[in-house]
Amino acid sequence: MFLDILIIAIKIILGISWLLTLTLILTWVERKESAVVQDRIGANRASILGLRVFGLFQPIADAIKMMFKEDFVPPFSNRFLHTIAPFLSFFFAVITLAAIPFGDEITIGSKVIALQIVRMNVGLVFILAMFSLGIYGIIIGGWASNNKYTLLGGMRGTAQIISYEIALGLSLIGLIMIYPSLELNEIVKYQGSLLFGFIPKWGVILQPLGFFIFLIAGMAETKRVPFDLPEGESEIIGFYTEYSGMKFGLFMMTDFVEVILISALVTTLFFGGWQVPYLYPDGFHFPWGGNILLNKWIVTVLQVLSFNLKVAFFCWLLVLARWTFPRYRYDQLMNLGWKLLIPMSFVNIIGTGLILILV
Amino acid sequence: MIKSLVFLLEFLKGLWITAKHFWINIFFNFLKLIGFNIRDRGSVTIQYPEEKKEIARRHRSLHRILTREDGSPRCVACMLCMTVCPSECIYIEAEEDPNPEIQKRPSKFIIDLSRCCFCGFCVEACPEDALRMDTNIVELGEYNREKLIYDLNRLVRISK
Amino acid sequence: MIKITINGKNYKVKEGLTILEASKQVGIEIPHFCYHPALESEGSCRMCLVEIKGVPKLQLACSTPIKDGMEIETENERVIEARKAVLEFLLAGHPLDCPICDKAGECKLQDYYYKFGLFEDRFEEEKPKRDKLFRIAPNLIYDQERCILCTRCVRFLREITKTGELGVLNRGKESLISIYEQELIENNYSGNLADICPVGAITDIDFRFKIRTWFLERKKSICPICSRGCNINIHFLSPSFPFKVEKRVFRITPEPNVKINGYWICNLGRYNYHYIDNDRILHPLKRNGELKQISWEEFYEDIGNKIKILIRRKKEEKIGVIVNLSLTNEEYETLEIFFNKCIPGTEIITFGKKSGKEDNFLLTEDRNANRKGAGKYRFKEKKIDILKFLNKKELVIFFGHEITEHCNIQLLSEALKDIKTKVLIASNKGPLINLVDYILPSTVIAEKEGSFTNSQGITQKFYRVLEPLGESRPEIEILTSLAQKSGIWRNFLMTRRAG
Repeated sequence: MFLDILIIAIKIILGISWLLTLTLILTWVERKESAVVQDRIGANRASILGLRVFGLFQPIADAIKMMFKEDFVPPFSNRFLHTIAPFLSFFFAVITLAAIPFGDEITIGSKVIALQIVRMNVGLVFILAMFSLGIYGIIIGGWASNNKYTLLGGMRGTAQIISYEIALGLSLIGLIMIYPSLELNEIVKYQGSLLFGFIPKWGVILQPLGFFIFLIAGMAETKRVPFDLPEGESEIIGFYTEYSGMKFGLFMMTDFVEVILISALVTTLFFGGWQVPYLYPDGFHFPWGGNILLNKWIVTVLQVLSFNLKVAFFCWLLVLARWTFPRYRYDQLMNLGWKLLIPMSFVNIIGTGLILILV
Repeated sequence: MIKSLVFLLEFLKGLWITAKHFWINIFFNFLKLIGFNIRDRGSVTIQYPEEKKEIARRHRSLHRILTREDGSPRCVACMLCMTVCPSECIYIEAEEDPNPEIQKRPSKFIIDLSRCCFCGFCVEACPEDALRMDTNIVELGEYNREKLIYDLNRLVRISK
Repeated sequence: MIKITINGKNYKVKEGLTILEASKQVGIEIPHFCYHPALESEGSCRMCLVEIKGVPKLQLACSTPIKDGMEIETENERVIEARKAVLEFLLAGHPLDCPICDKAGECKLQDYYYKFGLFEDRFEEEKPKRDKLFRIAPNLIYDQERCILCTRCVRFLREITKTGELGVLNRGKESLISIYEQELIENNYSGNLADICPVGAITDIDFRFKIRTWFLERKKSICPICSRGCNINIHFLSPSFPFKVEKRVFRITPEPNVKINGYWICNLGRYNYHYIDNDRILHPLKRNGELKQISWEEFYEDIGNKIKILIRRKKEEKIGVIVNLSLTNEEYETLEIFFNKCIPGTEIITFGKKSGKEDNFLLTEDRNANRKGAGKYRFKEKKIDILKFLNKKELVIFFGHEITEHCNIQLLSEALKDIKTKVLIASNKGPLINLVDYILPSTVIAEKEGSFTNSQGITQKFYRVLEPLGESRPEIEILTSLAQKSGIWRNFLMTRRAG
């Protein structure tokens, strides 16, 4: 029993440190990638003892700055709500990590340890639910600031996220129809089987339309450009205008955490999660014959590496999208959500159903 | 809906362009990193305090006052620069020069660089070609306003 | 009246005029250098060439009298071409050193070049080198290179001052204007030469290199140096000049007024302007052991109370006022109302500046600007003994320092010792400053408005040219404010309205 708790605690600590490290790196990636896309160099001045390392210390400098800035609470605002909002926002983003599998299970002695913090059979629903709860951080933050513009920003954010929540959920129904379970590890495992004997049954191949809708809706969930209407730092005044210091930092980190989580979800649901094509627990078995037998530890390492690489790719893609597109106007945003993505996901559901009946 | 789909196509195109830039620049930046000397590809950023941009031939920088062969300033205190200066940063007082060929010379010539907008009108107005802005000195920041007030001696010294 | 046609339009003008004068009367400018309305026309510059119908060659507008039915063209191509050619010849030997020339900005040669010339220089020859610092008078420098030989200066000295110190030497391109045998021009009107010189050949040492002309503004005023009342232009630093300079007035030039001064002023009036900026009293001062700055209100309160008490005690004869002769008519009237009418019994005496030498032209013997104006009122100007006047006074008000020119300052200071309150109202510092208790700054003529009556009896109005320096106020304002505090305000107003 104690051992179980210890294992869970270690998994939680490892998972959160993975997430936070990636978040820090992502802020650096955001700077550098935007720079490279725009023919610049990007932040490269932060140095420790003259060591610059491509500006990799920039996130640390940012963090120090955030910590030491004045934590200002606007007068006549609700101090408690004002303080709790960023934590809510951040909490509901991070907790989603619990259901995501990093790899298959490993066996140490007689103990079977799943490389997933909690293996729950409602994993997918849990994730969707937690994403929805993230709205509270936004609306409370906007409201508690005692500023009509932040309130408007919060309202915009809420409306946007609720709208895209529908598309996000509907786009997954096709998957749920195909996959045998709502538990994410099961979903990943299912994606290891082969279609026609040689194509991996990844979600993106079975559900291309669903993937597409999920990616766009997921981008909208992260509240980043081109869907950054809740924030709109310089132009339209967003919900965290009245925040400073680390509270602001938390809101900012939420965005990056969400980017990572959306990438992780896309990977898990549509790109086979920790699956490497043709890799089975005892090694590679290629459909055209030929086997490479591997140690199970090597297999596990390959699986985790595969998952991380896929996540990294989608992080890159989402950052690239953020630096490619201009912001949507609010009516365009709503049109896209309600008039394109939701009908398309209905088409997807019906199409999937038809194929399932026919096949 | 169809309109939105067309938009999506354009979005993909945009993504393609930025991705192309990204990978090409990554490639050239990598080449630079391993020692190739590539100037105009990859990033075009100039790392200012370490590298400096070449100043254009027709630039305007800190003023200087040219001298005659005997070392006296060429300025005859005609006050045309003072008249034309839109930011009113030049102040001149004239006095009699003992040489009848020159007759007039400045006893005070002050350029207040904290007001100067580097328009170059003074240079154009100067009938004696005494004032030029070709010193290549562009880093003029000071911690003290008084240091930005250049008098005749200082302006002549720059020229030497 | 005869009919003439200028540029196709018919005009009626008086007989006996030249073409230039006639066209000036009807508002057509004909460019000219050597013509001056006060001088005989000579026709040496050739700038005023015009075409007359029926005359084959272009004619000089400045010396051709008009005839009935004359048809004149002043703007046609031939005339403009001729002007261009004349300018080109004049500029052939001109050094073009406008940057160091004080005339630049008001130079006729410059103006006409921009109006009619604008040609490229075709001369390849070196410009002739000549003496650029030729002293022709203690106050004038003659630049032989710049001279265009219009001979305005020569004619001025021959016709106006009738001294004839200058003449044209040599011939042809060697000709130049010079004095005879190192005898400098020493007459009192030499300053006018710098004004009438159409180019910068004659420059005034007083003004030389002080400031460029385009930084100056000019306003009309009246010269307060003598009783002639010459009309002058005060050239002062334009308010738009971006830098703070102590000096405000840079020169004084005559304003043409045929009735009084013609086109000229004397050197005395021309160079005596430094008092406007120098040695001014800037703030009201009170001596309480040492001099201390006070506000005007304090002064009005103090002296007003003194006058009030003296009136209540029926001791009006204890008040003595000593007035100079350079105040305006309006100020004399106010003095008359204040002291003679509202506080009868007070004594007002006038002391003017000492008379100087008169010349036979403009400068008069009387060096006070407004003796005639003061004479209209009941002020005593007899040769009274100032010490007797001061005896047993309790309050003395001096306007100006002029009294010290008429008595021994030692005796005066002793006489003033017994007087309780001594007030000086003056614009500039002077000998009286050390002898009085209250020193009040008044404005100079250029800073106030009013009128002067000159020695010919002509009353001329003048207006404020400059803002009062420091806290100085015009005398009329001082007197009015003082009347308010002296308990005679009602009486003062009634009398003034009745007057």
